[in-house]
Amino acid sequence: MKRKMTPRERTYVKILLPILVLFFLFNTLPMIQGFIYSFTNYKGYGSYDWVGLRNYMDLFTDQRVWNSYFFTFKYAICGTILVNVIALALAIGLNAKIRFKSALRGIYFIPNILGGLIIGYIFSFLFTYILPAVGEYFQISWLQNSILSSPDTAWIGVLIVGVWQAVAMTTIIYISGLQTVPEDVYEASRIDGAGKWTEFRKVTLPLIIPLVSTNLLLTTKNFMMVFDQIMSLTKGGPAQSTESISYLIYRNGLDGGQFGFQSANAVFFFVVIVALSVIQLRSMSSKEEQL
Amino acid sequence: MDFRVHSFFESHFVQFYQEEKKGDSVMKCSNMLAAVLSAACLLTGCASGPADDKIQIEIVSYKPEAAKVFEEIQDLFNETHDDIQLTINSPNEAMTILKTRFVREDYPDIVAIGGDINYSGFLDAGLFWNLEGQPVLDKVRDGYRQIDKQLEFVPLEGEYAIPYAANAAGILYNRKLFRENGWQTPETWVEFMDLCETIQEDGFQPLYAGYKDTWTTLAPWNALAVELADPDICQQVNRQEATFAEAYDLTAERIREMLPYIQPNPSAYGYSDAATAFANEEAAMWAIGSYAIPQIRSVNPEMEIGAFVMPGADSAEERWLNSGIDLQFCVMADSPEKEAAMEVIDFLCQDEVMDLYLADQGGISCLKGDFAVPEELGDMKEFIESGKVRDFHDHYYPSEMAVDALIQTYLLDTSADAKEKFLKKFDTEWQRYNRDLIRRLQEENQ
Repeated sequence: MKRKMTPRERTYVKILLPILVLFFLFNTLPMIQGFIYSFTNYKGYGSYDWVGLRNYMDLFTDQRVWNSYFFTFKYAICGTILVNVIALALAIGLNAKIRFKSALRGIYFIPNILGGLIIGYIFSFLFTYILPAVGEYFQISWLQNSILSSPDTAWIGVLIVGVWQAVAMTTIIYISGLQTVPEDVYEASRIDGAGKWTEFRKVTLPLIIPLVSTNLLLTTKNFMMVFDQIMSLTKGGPAQSTESISYLIYRNGLDGGQFGFQSANAVFFFVVIVALSVIQLRSMSSKEEQL
Repeated sequence: MDFRVHSFFESHFVQFYQEEKKGDSVMKCSNMLAAVLSAACLLTGCASGPADDKIQIEIVSYKPEAAKVFEEIQDLFNETHDDIQLTINSPNEAMTILKTRFVREDYPDIVAIGGDINYSGFLDAGLFWNLEGQPVLDKVRDGYRQIDKQLEFVPLEGEYAIPYAANAAGILYNRKLFRENGWQTPETWVEFMDLCETIQEDGFQPLYAGYKDTWTTLAPWNALAVELADPDICQQVNRQEATFAEAYDLTAERIREMLPYIQPNPSAYGYSDAATAFANEEAAMWAIGSYAIPQIRSVNPEMEIGAFVMPGADSAEERWLNSGIDLQFCVMADSPEKEAAMEVIDFLCQDEVMDLYLADQGGISCLKGDFAVPEELGDMKEFIESGKVRDFHDHYYPSEMAVDALIQTYLLDTSADAKEKFLKKFDTEWQRYNRDLIRRLQEENQ
């Protein structure tokens, strides 16, 4: 079975190999290390003891960890739905024959090229000072208090910022998807007497399903990993109501001396993300249509 | 470590590139990759440093607000020393950066940190060098050497830090507003509450708070706790001799009694918002430490700031000044150049350098000598001089327990049994986060 590689294949291997080594060194190796540390009470420095599965057991009894999972899932689910609905609507609009189409596409893309922290700090100012001032002026009671200051509403503030930023990239992907739908399919559906809504539901949507699934996967993953927005908007507060899993891992793992415990949390989180992605991919791929 | 990894890849790529000269497109590709890698190498700064043979000493300071004065001190040192090159770094979030570096076993020579739980943790991990017998220790006031001894989880032989500057926390107030309105600084809790009432009636905002930055909740908390709870309460709890539910009952009650006199929605505003508001005379008082003075001055350089000891107790005699070590130097056990490090520390402990530091940062000198107590802290002077000072309680709290967030949660909780819930949570969380330590203390006692 063994045969010599052609020069072409050798070249491919040579391109791949360094990347593989880099990936192993900077991704796989730290992950294995983290996995090992998850069985210790390592503080991040100094000596440590092996504690077996204690860290994993503690994960399930730690209220703060539960809260962070609850927040992250709530945030990811709402975020994914909102982003995809808004982005798809925007993409359909921006794909239509309208004036200033390119300029508008450019403008809608801007949030994506701004850094998460910068956006966070700007919105933080907006939520803390400008919106309450507007509320004060027009006597709108729910606007008068900063949305970020109450444990019940702070997550909505973080969500608004997250969605605002994520819509940009998702819209671009949808636009590229819509452009692949050939004009003659639409013509055929129009001849068959389909209205705009039927056309969207029966023609457009099935044809861009692969992009919908890509987008759902990407946005869910990104929203699950939410970090910059938390860092710049709320620092996990008020009353620890907006602590995401990544934020908690960073905060308590590196800053708080729980390196071992939060490594266990990270391993668990990794498993959750992989499981979710697999489920999502499975359920979406069965709905794909081919022309 | 970084350097070796990068250079390894670079040479690997050069080799790869030379081999593939025949394949045109591949050549371009690997060429580009090599360029990217070497650019990454430049960005991460893996050049091997200055070529001269001076001894390199690196200090990492956890006070970004003192970055400027430390830069001045660093230049002063380098001008007068030919054999040692001193670098003082003062990054933001220095504690996180330090810990991240420790994970990588990349240690500076000296760290300039506070006398808090981080110091205890690092010390417990055996990161610091024993300074016992160093002549410079004799320059330090005994009270602060004691505070450092108390910070040891498990009592150790020797001394591991040189306390440099201390801070004091209580209530900062606007002297001009107090003078113009004839308000008197209070000495007991009843007087304090009456004062707040009067200020409110006179049409001013009595207190401002920046509870969005959760750590600021610890300022009034500590100032109250040093007067209302035993100074060694955390050790008592670790020895299972007391509970926080009892010890902190009054502290928890009184921090809440301040709320009606704080601006609405304190959790919407951060530390710098509060500093700005206080500097712009939007409030008469702010429960915070002396470390906030430089920040207030940066907004309003002319402001007449005063400070009084938290009037948390029922009688004036029961008042204690909440003061702890704000900055101390520790030599890392791993530093290869301890002699040079000590020379740097000797330099830092000279009177002129201390004067320079105090002039910029305010605060109180931990070194013996006739150093000025900042004018703003005038009302606290008798406490400092008579040694009626107690260390911040949060210096004993594990940072991963996030007591500041617990207090914020408690202050946002409007239910009737909020205090009971908070104190109960305090006790259970304490046991959870300190169990390794508690177990060790039990083993040690047996």
